[in-house]
Amino acid sequence: MNEVITLAHGSGGRKTSELIGEIFRKNLGNEYFTADDAAVLPKPEGRIAMSTDGFIVSPWKYPGGNIGRLAVCGTVNDLACMGAKPLYLTCSYIIEEGLPIEDLELIAKTMGETAREAGVNIVAGDTKVAGKGQVDKIFITTAGVGVIDDNVNTSGKFAKPGDKIIVTGDVGRHGTAILLARDEYGIEAEVTSDCAPLWEPVRKVLEVCPEIHVIRDATRGGVGTVLYEIADEAGVGIKVNREDVPVADEVRGVTGLLGLEPLYLACEGRMVMMCPADKADAVVEVLKATKYTEGATIIGEVTDTEIGRVVMTTEVGGQTYLPKPGNELLPRIC
Amino acid sequence: MTSLTDTSGLRKYLEEYDGPSIRIMEVCGTHTHEIFRQGIRNFLSPKINLISGPGCPVCVTPASYIDEAVFLALEKGCTITTFGDLVRVPGNQKSLQQARAEGGKVKVVYSPLDAEKYAKAHPEEQVVFLSVGFETTTPSDVIAVKNAIKDGIDNFSLLTANKTMPGAYEAMASSTDAYLYPGHVHAIIGTKLCRDLCERGVSGTIAGFTGEELLTALAVTVKKASEGKPFFVNAYPRVVTDEGSPAACAIVDKFMQPCDAEWRGIGTIPLSGVELKDEFAVCDARKKYSIPKMDYERKTGCKCGNVLQGQIKPCECPLFGKACNPDHPIGACMVSDEGACSAFYMYGGQS
Repeated sequence: MNEVITLAHGSGGRKTSELIGEIFRKNLGNEYFTADDAAVLPKPEGRIAMSTDGFIVSPWKYPGGNIGRLAVCGTVNDLACMGAKPLYLTCSYIIEEGLPIEDLELIAKTMGETAREAGVNIVAGDTKVAGKGQVDKIFITTAGVGVIDDNVNTSGKFAKPGDKIIVTGDVGRHGTAILLARDEYGIEAEVTSDCAPLWEPVRKVLEVCPEIHVIRDATRGGVGTVLYEIADEAGVGIKVNREDVPVADEVRGVTGLLGLEPLYLACEGRMVMMCPADKADAVVEVLKATKYTEGATIIGEVTDTEIGRVVMTTEVGGQTYLPKPGNELLPRIC
Repeated sequence: MTSLTDTSGLRKYLEEYDGPSIRIMEVCGTHTHEIFRQGIRNFLSPKINLISGPGCPVCVTPASYIDEAVFLALEKGCTITTFGDLVRVPGNQKSLQQARAEGGKVKVVYSPLDAEKYAKAHPEEQVVFLSVGFETTTPSDVIAVKNAIKDGIDNFSLLTANKTMPGAYEAMASSTDAYLYPGHVHAIIGTKLCRDLCERGVSGTIAGFTGEELLTALAVTVKKASEGKPFFVNAYPRVVTDEGSPAACAIVDKFMQPCDAEWRGIGTIPLSGVELKDEFAVCDARKKYSIPKMDYERKTGCKCGNVLQGQIKPCECPLFGKACNPDHPIGACMVSDEGACSAFYMYGGQS
């Protein structure tokens, strides 16, 4: 099939209907999916969380996923970080004229599969086609709604001295995978993105520790940026043991060559959690037993000294500040 | 007696050392960065003073060199190919970043070989590679020239500011009690030089690059230095051999000849650099484009020179962390991650 997206696919006419029917309804369809102006949904029980996120990753396809998986996981994980069970997503596509229809089909298929895996329904969407060169192949925006149990309250502000800090797996995979996929460095290494929907592990964590203080997904700026954000928001210090930070050998190799700090490379399937010390082992235990978070481990703790700073204990037992996040390392990572 | 065979023993020795005060100069930007990254300075005994010497190629590149590159980009319409760090280094007039904003063509590459390939693929452009660095990287600069000759292209040249360590070791010897010699440089040039220096009373230890290798080299240096006699130890024998890499040295000797070199903040050190021999003048941008002498010097108050010689700590420079920071570097030591000022700023929690 050599067909490509043309401006007519975004006209709102027959071609648009074909696209919705043959690509989107086929791959994303569910009982709430609508071609009407808005989806009509049952009223959920409890507080509602709502979030939105735009995705412009380049290249749109990379080892371990594509922009479709990213667009679903990004919003699902944002909701999960607030302790919200993701219920519904909308998605808006801005497509560059000339994109092969089979590429769009692959993206839609991936979104459908990822949504089903995440237990969320894509209920409405929009498609616009922009002229050649006005966007780079495809940009996607998703918005999502989730529902939060009454006894759950998470926020970066709630980090408390004494809390243990957990990461849910090895860091820096997504950023490294994208960097290699761009092929600008002439480095060959097998690194796949960690992109994954994380409501299921969060749900299980909330069962053993509903009082958990902080859950945050470490996306663009990586785990290091999250730690500085929370130190600032909660007015606490953060202490991390560098040797306990999990980094895959191949990621360590690539970042070593390029002089990059894995803690500042993007993740798309990793969360940072902060919980009372007496619950930390139980949280790690359920994470380890759950898909996508098998590599969970404690990396440090929240302190009432060195407010606003992230202090690293190094491999040789030295102490140093983690350098603050600098300029944007790589544009268009998600 | 503390054991010097494991990390905690080494650390304890360096923490608790209470002999005569010792100054140790690390002469390699990668060492500087790793020492900060590992937090080693924070636990050293106050009797051990580390000096971040002139071992980061970006840091010792004089502002006039940037002026030359800017001249080529803006006046001669050349395409400048360079490692990324140099783009942000301020010249006397402007940086390459500013030259690029004014329409100059500046392309970041990861190897001089890529720059030569780019020249081959773009015969309509005059491509100049900014050839800076020490013995470690000079061989690949030379191979790029060799490739250009082999490919029969006449649009590729080097703007050389390649430096060699022997002259610098001699020139800086009074600033330190012992050197932490750069492992990668001596993997190329071998250890003879260090032995000769030792005979002339200049001490040092060749160090590797992991945290543990650095601790080992530091502990050995402190122990030997406190004994008061000149010494040389190769503490990186898994990589550094006595003879080094004769092949790499031979190819450099074939294309390059020694020359005096200017080190930013330190001045001209006789025969501390290399330049292309006359027979390769077509690949020497300075000759090819008749670059005029850049003798205008802007006064900034930057004290990088004192920092590189260990006379002051970066935070004692009046510009440090104020007018000069990684987002707006005034001195070159604030540009590269391997620069002493940048490392001080990033790991010292100044931001």
